[in-house]
Amino acid sequence: MSRRGTLFTYSVVHSGMDAFKVQTPYVVALVEEDRQIRLARVEGYTGRQELAVGMEVEFMAEDQEGHPIYRFSACPD
Amino acid sequence: MRSVSVIGIGETRMGRFPERSLRDLIREAGETALNDAGIESNEIQALFMSNFNAQFLNGQGHIGPLAAEVLGLGTIPAIRVEGACASGSLAFRQGLIAVASGLYDMVLVGGVEKMAHLSTESVTEGIASASDFAQEANQGATFPALFAMIANRYFHEYGNVREAMAICAVQNHENALLNPDAQLRKRITVEQVKNGLAIADPLTIYDCSLVSDGSAFVVLAATEVARTVCHKRLVEVVGSGHAGDTLTLASKGSLTTFAATINAAKQAYAMAGVGPTDIHFAEVHDCFTITQLINIEDLGFFPKGKGAFGVADGKTAASGPIPINVSGGLKAKGHPIGATGLSQIYEVVTQLRGEGGARQLPRADLGLTHNIGGTAATCVVNIFRGR
Repeated sequence: MSRRGTLFTYSVVHSGMDAFKVQTPYVVALVEEDRQIRLARVEGYTGRQELAVGMEVEFMAEDQEGHPIYRFSACPD
Repeated sequence: MRSVSVIGIGETRMGRFPERSLRDLIREAGETALNDAGIESNEIQALFMSNFNAQFLNGQGHIGPLAAEVLGLGTIPAIRVEGACASGSLAFRQGLIAVASGLYDMVLVGGVEKMAHLSTESVTEGIASASDFAQEANQGATFPALFAMIANRYFHEYGNVREAMAICAVQNHENALLNPDAQLRKRITVEQVKNGLAIADPLTIYDCSLVSDGSAFVVLAATEVARTVCHKRLVEVVGSGHAGDTLTLASKGSLTTFAATINAAKQAYAMAGVGPTDIHFAEVHDCFTITQLINIEDLGFFPKGKGAFGVADGKTAASGPIPINVSGGLKAKGHPIGATGLSQIYEVVTQLRGEGGARQLPRADLGLTHNIGGTAATCVVNIFRGR
């Protein structure tokens, strides 16, 4: 069974630092999982998802420094 | 602890000044403050210098001796104080404590930042070091993104206050029209704010404070000494508070009320023996429009979740019962980070002295400044009374 978290809060970022410029727009969020809230990237933003607090996201991986990365569940399109 | 008063103030215009150096900005604001106090530079016993990030922005550290040299202060102790966007108020508080303790009779507090010459991406990176660089900035959470997350959480807990956020920006711009030191003097509309260039949803460019160059200085003296040298209305520092919170957003107990503000305000009100309803006007940290809304609630001017109604009703406008950011705030006067807290104090002292010119408030005997650093990981609140 896949690990899931929910959006405690989020933002679609349109203007970032140089390192992230090519990835805009992207989503950063505070994701709640097992009562723990952590800052995370949420991959797979298409501009068509309706984001909301409480929305479920799927755990994808941890990056090299151990920061969690989640993804939006595949949307029917 | 001795009573302490402000006897001199000085600031540069806020703006984009590619031709001006850090030294140049310091000289103008510092000399103006010393002249305003009517004292000689050799009467200053210590310098507390605020600067956020000149090492990154200008390749310059050791701002204390730099400023002391520029202002001809000789061999007096000079120290740099840093607390992100609250650096200015933090330096002010160190100067206040030093005089109140009896160690010095007269000190100078200054702040400076020069940042507008860099690209937006570089400035964003420089500012990002006020958050947790590894855990936040390096995950793509820029400062606007952190406050955008605060805004979205606020919407979830208290309802959508997008309109009131926009009104904060419109009001601050309106106020700046009357401030000759303001960086932006142009009227904007609620629709412009809402439909502006998207930075981090729900924040547009009009929800964000400015990238500015500027400097501001304040001369502090023991009130017993101030009475003998000050020819203007004496402005006593009657309350001061400083509190902190976790550096990272994810570790905070709440995103919609700032513990650092609550605690710093509590200290300042208790020391002054006043409450929020006694305050005549305030300069309140508005790095983003949502921040101003949360702050006016945390300072006790409005109940939690009701700040938006107060703003929409015009209560915080210059003509309202609790004018907020009559200077134009960080949004329109400008936000030269290290100078900002002192620039807020400059405005409050100006108003208390009745020297506000076209923007002078009719009721100005008790004023408050509120300044936060990072995502409210540092907060300083000061209360001033005209004597």
